[in-house]
Amino acid sequence: MSTDPPADGPSRTLGKHAVKIDGVSKSFGKTVALEPVWLKIRRGEFLTLLGPSGCGKTTILNLIAGFLEADKGEIFIDDELVTQVPPHQREIGIVFQNYALFPHMSVTQNVAYGLRTRRISKAETETRVREALDLVKLQDFADRRPKQLSGGQQQRVALARALVIRPRVLLLDEPFSALDRNLRTAMQVELKEIQSRLGLTTVFVTHDQTEALSMSERIAVMSRGSIRQIGTPTEIYDHPQNRFVSTFVGDANLFSADLLRKTAQGARLGVGGTTLDLDTYQDDLPDPGPVTLFVRPEQCTLTAPDQPGAITATVALSVYQGSHAELHLDCPASEDGRVMLRVPCGEAQDAGTKVGLALPQRGPAIYAKEGGPE
Amino acid sequence: MNKRPFLGWFASPSILIAFGITASFLAIVQYSLRAHVPGSLDPGGFTLENFTTLLKAVYGQAFLNTVLLCFWTTVFTLLIGYPLAYAMIRAKSLALRSAILLISLTPLFLGEIVRTYSWMIVLGNRGFLNASLIQLDLIDRPIDFMFTMTGVVIALVHFTLPIVVVMLAAALSHIDRNLERAATSLGAGRVRCFLTVTLPLSIPGIVAATSTSFAWTFSAFATPQMIGGGKVQTISTLVYQVGFASFNFPLAASLSLVGLLFTIAVLAIFNTGIRRLEQMGAH
Repeated sequence: MSTDPPADGPSRTLGKHAVKIDGVSKSFGKTVALEPVWLKIRRGEFLTLLGPSGCGKTTILNLIAGFLEADKGEIFIDDELVTQVPPHQREIGIVFQNYALFPHMSVTQNVAYGLRTRRISKAETETRVREALDLVKLQDFADRRPKQLSGGQQQRVALARALVIRPRVLLLDEPFSALDRNLRTAMQVELKEIQSRLGLTTVFVTHDQTEALSMSERIAVMSRGSIRQIGTPTEIYDHPQNRFVSTFVGDANLFSADLLRKTAQGARLGVGGTTLDLDTYQDDLPDPGPVTLFVRPEQCTLTAPDQPGAITATVALSVYQGSHAELHLDCPASEDGRVMLRVPCGEAQDAGTKVGLALPQRGPAIYAKEGGPE
Repeated sequence: MNKRPFLGWFASPSILIAFGITASFLAIVQYSLRAHVPGSLDPGGFTLENFTTLLKAVYGQAFLNTVLLCFWTTVFTLLIGYPLAYAMIRAKSLALRSAILLISLTPLFLGEIVRTYSWMIVLGNRGFLNASLIQLDLIDRPIDFMFTMTGVVIALVHFTLPIVVVMLAAALSHIDRNLERAATSLGAGRVRCFLTVTLPLSIPGIVAATSTSFAWTFSAFATPQMIGGGKVQTISTLVYQVGFASFNFPLAASLSLVGLLFTIAVLAIFNTGIRRLEQMGAH
């Protein structure tokens, strides 16, 4: 976001941040759902909370919405302290995973619900409901019941219902997970369009990394109740700061390596019986000592097995993917014994073929070796 | 042929029960069409006299009493049962939920006679309720609960509460919590959220609980018999009186038969009304 969208309505000058989460934590009994978290969401930003189930992303969403009370810390929406404000006064729009449309009301009644609670005049309600239904292209379905709509249409109603109240923040709780694949992509594009047209601050919760990468301006990758990295999709994908992020977002090959010494440009590693000079280095690594080397599949190249500097491997399986082939290699240098890379279909090798693997100097990251499953 | 080999065996008890019910029903129909021979347990020849006897005012009053009892019992049971069921489903503490469930269900486990006697002790002129009210200076003279409609309704509410609470709780537990959250996020406070979302969505449960409560109360015998003490005559107490005090089996049979048809008619009217309401879009 280079510029903030113009503030709608009152002339009150609004700060840069639509949502500020200040050291908020939450436990359920003895289970820690959320370690203290600090997070600032810019006005008009599309921020994604990405992580596996139980990582605390939904807890953050529920805390912003006010469905949960924080144990510690404060939450600000539009610079207003809302930690103690009940959910119905927070002016937040939510699209639920199952849409949560009121089954006993028509599409129009569903969308008008939030306007009726605000005691908005009948004429204005009608206009705004029509505008909202136009926005999601459901003008012709105004009198239907939710049950008479397809999944995609129900989602649009849910979106219209959340948008019509002109919320300060839009919260999306895995809204695409119930849709089939083609519809999901179409809805993602549509939602993203609407969001950027309205300049709406949006917090999106998902466990789907593809969705997160394609839609977000920033992604906060979470695990075990804390944010492991926050950054643009490019930063997250190209420069994952730790092993968890590298494996959760995108495919990763992890090699056991030895950090031999620090060099002027970066570090010299010993990996798979050969040495590799990297142009990156991290301060918190053992020097010298065992490390984990992280390489994306597209950064690996296939070479002849006897090429100098190449790591030796054997093709275990070749999987045809249409546009390319996935080669799974047995490689002793890899932490789990396997390496995956993608090659054009013509270059696919039969199982059992000995090959060489060349790693690039620029791109891979090194992490301290971790004992845990992360 | 042998896709469900045990089906026949599993179905056999139901055939036995169906046979028993049909046989006794036919016996009642048969009795209701026979003449009463005073001093004899055996019925006389075929006649329609029993049914014309039922047109007498005393029987009409019993029908009216029964319907009133059913009505008030259902109303009060719903008023008490709904909050109980709601609390049982929504309470955060497991201990509280279990306590509500236990308290609501105990009337089912007490025998009907034990429960009714307890109510007689509570409702009597010197009973617990009147004594407490007098002690608290709320009343000067004891209120007549025993042998009145009020007393019978109080005891019947207690009798009907478990089944109503369970049915309402089942209906409430099927309401998606996200619907209430959605309403809240759209600006609805607690009361509005309840009135516009929770209550309308629990209507099917309320309907089921109402018809069950009606039928349940309609057939109640021990409670109106003991607490009503002959002053509050219902169809069941009259059947007992006619059949086992006067030994007029044919008249008792015709009274039961008309009572049964009456229940079916009331429930049918009720269900039609609800279906109309549903079509009108209330739900």
